[in-house]
Amino acid sequence: MASSSSSSMKYSYTLWSPSDTVKDVAESLGIANLSEEVSKSLAMDVEYRINEVLEQATKFMKHSKRTILTTQDISHAFRVLNLEPLYGYDSTRPIKFREAVLGPGQTLYYIDDEEVDFERIINMPLPKVPREVSFTAHWLAIEGVQPAIPQNPQPSEGRSAAPGQPGVSSTEIEVKPLVKHALSRELQLYYDRVVAALTEESSTSAMKNAVLNSLGNDPGLHQLIPYLIQFVAEKIRLNLKNASMLYLMLQVLHKLLTNQTIFIEPYIHSIMPPILTLLVGKRIGTSQSSTEEHYKVRDFAASLLNQVCTKYGDTYHTLKPRVTRTLLKAFMDTSKSAGTQYGALSGLTAMGPEVVRVLILGNLRDWAAVIGSTSAVTDEDKRRLGNAVIEALRSLVDPEFTTIDDLTDQDRARFAEFVGPEVDKLVSEASDSESIIKAVLDSQKFV
Amino acid sequence: MSNPQRPLGVGTPAAATPPPPTQYSAADLNRIVLEYLNKKGYSKTEQMLRIESATRTPAASVPGSPTPSGGHQDASRSATNGTVSNTDTLLKSSTDDPNLFIRAYKSLRDWIETSLDIFQPELRKLLFPIFVHTFFYLIQKPDSKSPATSLARRFFDTYSSDHSVLHGYDLQLLSGLTLPDHLQENETAKLYRQHKYRLNMSRTTFDLLLHFLDETENNGGPIIIRLINQYIETNVTPSRPDKYNDFSHSLGPDEGIPGHTTGQENRLNSQPVRLGRLPLDERMAKEVELRLKDEDDTAQNNNGIAGIGTTKTLLQEFHEMNQTEDSPVREVLPLPQYKGVDVEHEIAAVKDARSRLKIGPTEASLPSVCMYTFHNTYDGLNCLEFSNDSSLVAGGFSDSYLKIWSLKGEKLQSVVKGSQPLTSQRLVGHAGPVYGASFSPDGKYLLSCSEDKSARLWSMDTYTALVSYKGHSHPVWDVAFSPVGHYFATASHDQTARLWSCDHIYPLRIFAGHISDVDCVTFHPNSTYVLTGSSDKTCRMWDVAKGTPVRIMISHTAPVSAITMSPDGRTLASAADDGVIMLWDLGSGKAIKAMRGHEKGSSIYSLSFSREGSVLVSAGSDCSVRVWDVKGGSTTPSSTSSTVATLADSGKVLADGKAGDATAAGPAGGVAGSATGGAAGGSTAGGQSGDAAANAAKAGASARQTFATSDHMATFMTKRTPVYKVQFTGRNLCLAGGAFMGTS
Repeated sequence: MASSSSSSMKYSYTLWSPSDTVKDVAESLGIANLSEEVSKSLAMDVEYRINEVLEQATKFMKHSKRTILTTQDISHAFRVLNLEPLYGYDSTRPIKFREAVLGPGQTLYYIDDEEVDFERIINMPLPKVPREVSFTAHWLAIEGVQPAIPQNPQPSEGRSAAPGQPGVSSTEIEVKPLVKHALSRELQLYYDRVVAALTEESSTSAMKNAVLNSLGNDPGLHQLIPYLIQFVAEKIRLNLKNASMLYLMLQVLHKLLTNQTIFIEPYIHSIMPPILTLLVGKRIGTSQSSTEEHYKVRDFAASLLNQVCTKYGDTYHTLKPRVTRTLLKAFMDTSKSAGTQYGALSGLTAMGPEVVRVLILGNLRDWAAVIGSTSAVTDEDKRRLGNAVIEALRSLVDPEFTTIDDLTDQDRARFAEFVGPEVDKLVSEASDSESIIKAVLDSQKFV
Repeated sequence: MSNPQRPLGVGTPAAATPPPPTQYSAADLNRIVLEYLNKKGYSKTEQMLRIESATRTPAASVPGSPTPSGGHQDASRSATNGTVSNTDTLLKSSTDDPNLFIRAYKSLRDWIETSLDIFQPELRKLLFPIFVHTFFYLIQKPDSKSPATSLARRFFDTYSSDHSVLHGYDLQLLSGLTLPDHLQENETAKLYRQHKYRLNMSRTTFDLLLHFLDETENNGGPIIIRLINQYIETNVTPSRPDKYNDFSHSLGPDEGIPGHTTGQENRLNSQPVRLGRLPLDERMAKEVELRLKDEDDTAQNNNGIAGIGTTKTLLQEFHEMNQTEDSPVREVLPLPQYKGVDVEHEIAAVKDARSRLKIGPTEASLPSVCMYTFHNTYDGLNCLEFSNDSSLVAGGFSDSYLKIWSLKGEKLQSVVKGSQPLTSQRLVGHAGPVYGASFSPDGKYLLSCSEDKSARLWSMDTYTALVSYKGHSHPVWDVAFSPVGHYFATASHDQTARLWSCDHIYPLRIFAGHISDVDCVTFHPNSTYVLTGSSDKTCRMWDVAKGTPVRIMISHTAPVSAITMSPDGRTLASAADDGVIMLWDLGSGKAIKAMRGHEKGSSIYSLSFSREGSVLVSAGSDCSVRVWDVKGGSTTPSSTSSTVATLADSGKVLADGKAGDATAAGPAGGVAGSATGGAAGGSTAGGQSGDAAANAAKAGASARQTFATSDHMATFMTKRTPVYKVQFTGRNLCLAGGAFMGTS
C-alpha cells in the first residue's frame, strides 16, 4: 500500500494521494478489493473533474472581485456544470481540516465537525448585528499628487506593496564608506566576498589564493582600491599579534601593487604606513609564536618597501628620504626591540646600496658594539641581526664590477678596523666573505 | 506493475531486428539483440540495454525493455554513423515510440534556443503547438499503460514552463488532462485538435526549419514534420524576420488557433465601420441650439463684451462636439422620441465640456482621484457603479441585493407616498450574487445582472424593480447601458453577449462567437456597436444593427477582464488577467500598444478614459489606481540601451518636476531601476547623487517581476483597498471605489 501510494504520486499534481483516496472511498462504499488499475484510472479522472470544477469556480471568484476561493464559488461552479450541489458546506465558517495518522506514512484528513449542543445554542446570546455597509470619501490624488492624509498609505508602505516601485530605500539606509562615490552592486558584492574570504576562518587557503589571484589580475577593481587599502590598514592595526593575518594583508598589498590594470600611484601615501608598521613595529605576532614567522613578515614588508620605492620613488620625491629617515631613526635607536632593528636594517637594505653605504656602513661599527654588549637581545635575535647585516653588506656587492685582484691581509685588517670586531667575525663566517669585504672596501674608496 | 504478456506487434521497434521476434522468449530476444548490437559495434547501446534489462523484473522485461532500448538504438545510430541505410524500417516502427516524441520536441527546442536571435521569436511560436500536440499524443497513445501516461505528465512538467509566459492560461486549462477520454471532452483540447494552428513565418526561417528537420531525420524530425503537416498551417511570408516587430513575441492577429477566432480576421476586420458620433435628432439639435444661444446671450449681458473673445460660447462648444465625419446614419438605431429631459441632459453635457479640466500626459495635468472606500462589506461587495452625474453610487453584493447611496451625502427619498428618506436604498430581487450594474445616462434607471441568469431594471425614483430580463442560460457577468439609453447589453457565462431594449423582455440580438465566457461588455459611444471581452482572450466588436462581429482583437495572453471605449470612439482599451492593458485601433482592429505595470497576477477590474481620451486610468486588485499615457509610445525597458537611456531621462523629468511627489516619481524610478548599470550611471550623471544610483539598483532588483512601460504615468496606492471601479466624470474628475479589506 505504501509503495503503491508513492508510485501513484507521480501521476498526480496534487499533494493528496488520489488513488488512495479513491480506495478509501470505495471501502466506505463497501467495495473491498478495488484493483490498482481501476483506482488509478478513477483517480486520474477525479483529478481532471476537480480541475474542471476549479476552473469554473475561479471564474466566480474573479467576478466577485475576490482573491480567495470560497465554498460558495464551488457551489456556483457545480450549478453551472449541472452537478448536484454539495450541502453542508458553509462559507461563513472556515473549514478546519484535522489530520490523523493511521499507520506509517498514512495520514487521514478529515473535517473537524464539532458537536453542537442545541440547548447551549438556544440559550446563547444573539450574535452582534453586523455593521451596515458604509463608505467614506477621500482624495486619493489631487492633480497627480497623493496627499499625505491618514486614508492614503505612507509612501514607503505603498512602495512595499507594489513591486513596480523603487525599493524600500527610505528604510534601509546604506552605510557608506568614507569615500563618496557610487560603487556598483557587483563591485560591492565582490568586495564583500573578498573580505569574507580573507578574514573568515572557514575559508581555505585555496580560496585565499583565488582571491589574491583575482586581486592581482582582474581589471576593473580600480574603484575598490581605497576600500581595499582601508581594509588592509584596519586589519593590520587590529591584528598586530596575528602574524599570519599580517602576512596575508601584505600579500593583498603586493597583489594590488602588481595588478597592471590598477593605477595605484595616488594611493601610495596610504599604502606606506601599514608597510612601515610591519617593518619596524615594536612587536609583531605573539611572543609565543615562532620568531621565524615574525621575521618573515618583516622581510616581506621590506621587499614590498623596496618595490614601492623603486617604482614610485621618482614620482614622489619626498618618498625615499622620508622613509629612509624613519628607518634610520629606528636603526640608530638601540633601545628599540631587536625586531625593530632588524626591520630597519632590512628596510634600509631594500632602499638600495647607496643608502647602505652611507647610512649603515658609517654607523655599523658603533651599532654592532652596542648590540653585541647588550644583554637585552637574545642570541637568536643576534643571529638574525647578523644575517641582516651580512645581507646589507652583500647588497653592496656588484657582481659586474668585482675586482679580480686577491684580498690581501692588509685589506682584511682595514675591513676589521672599519666595521669592528663583531661584524668582522660575522663576515668571516659568511661563505662569500671575500667579495663582501672587497665590496665594502671598494665602496669606501669613493668616500 | 504486473504487465500481462502481450504479443509483440509491429509497433515495437524490436520488430526491426532481423529474426522474427514472436517465436522467442524474453531471454532469447535480449540475447539476440545484444548479439546484433555487439556485431554492429553499438557498444553504448548495448551497455544501455544491459543496464535497463537488468533493472527490470523478468516479467516486465518482455514488453518493457524493447521500447526504450529501441529509442536508444535509434539515437545512437544517428549519433554514430548517421547513415540512412537500413534505418527506414526502424524509423517507421519507432515513430510511435513516445520517448522519440519527447526527444523530437527536445531537439527542436534546443535547436531553437541555439539559433540566431533574429529567428528565435518566429521559431518559438512554432514550439507551443508542437508542445501541445506532443502532449496530446503522449496522453492518447493507443496502448497507454501507466508508464506512458506518466511520461505525458513528466513531459508536461518539464517543458510547460517554456510557454508559461505567453500561453499560461491555456497551459492551466490543459494541465488537468490525463486520460485519452479527457481529450475528447476538454474544450481546449478539442480546439487544438480540430483546428489548425496558424503561424506566419518568413521564408528564411521556414527554410532553416526545414533544413533542420531534414538533418534530424533520425532524431524525430519526421515526427515534427508530421505534427506540422497535421496541425499547423504555416503561412510563409516573403518578409524578413524582424526582431523588433510588435507581434514577434506574442501571436500576430492572424495567427494561433482559428477556433479561438473565426479564422477570417483579416476579412472580418476589413469590414467598414462608422466610428463617428451618432448625430442628434435634428429637431432636438435645433432646440438645444436655441437654448444654448439664450444662455450665451444672458451670459454676454451679464459679463459685458470682455469675456467673449477668450472663452468659447456654449453654442460653439456644441457645434465642436457634434462636428464629426464618419458618423453612422441615425436610422440605424431606432430610438424613442426625445423628451425635454434629453435636451437638458445635452445642455449639461455641453456645459461640462466647457468647464472640464484638461488632462494630458504632461506632469502638470495628472488627474485628481476621489476615492470612495466601502467599509464592513465582509468581502461581499462584487461591483460598484457611479451614475453619470456623480450623484449616486450602486453596489452589487454577493448576498443577491444591490444598494444605492447618494454621493452627496443626502438621504434618498422614494417618490412612493409614505416612504421614509434613507441614507441608502436596498434593492432586493435577484436570486444570486450581483455581478454587474449600470446606470442609465439620465440616472433614472439602474440595470443589474446576476448569477441567477437574469438582468433587472430598477427605478431610481421608487427604488423598486421594474423588469426582469431573462434569456441567458448561464450567469450574467456584466451589463452596460447604451450611452443614449433605451438599449443595453449583457455578457454571460453562456459565451454570448445579448442586446436588449428596456421595453422588451427578450433579447433583440444575440452576439454569439466567443468560445469562452464573455466577461465584460461596453457600448461604443455612438451606440451602434457593442464591444465585448472574453475568457477566450479576445475582444470583439459587434454591429448592433446586424448582430454580426465586425472586429476581432487578438493578442491578449489571458482572459480579458475589463474593457472601455475612448470618448472619440476610435480606441478600445482592454485589460487582461495578467495585468497587461492593451489599446486597439478600432478602425483597423490592430493593437496600438500594450501597457504593463500592474502587478503580475493581479486582476484589473476597471478602466476609464479621460474625456479628451488622452489619459487612461486603470484600477485593480493590487490596491492601486494607475494612470497611463494613451498617446505616448510604449517601450519595454528590457531591450536596448537607447531605450534605457530615454527611460532614465523620463524618470528624471518626473522626479525633477515634482520633488515632493514620491509616488508620481515612483513608477518612473522603477523603470530606471530596471535598466542596467549603464542607465544607473546615466542618471547619476544627470545630476542625481550617488544615492539615486544605489536606489535605482535596488529598485531594479525589486522591480524584476514587473517592468512598467514608459507610458505609465503615475500610481496611486490605496490602503488595502482593491479598487473595483474607476470612472471619469463629465468634468474629468476621476471617481474610484473599492472595498476596504481591513484587518478582519
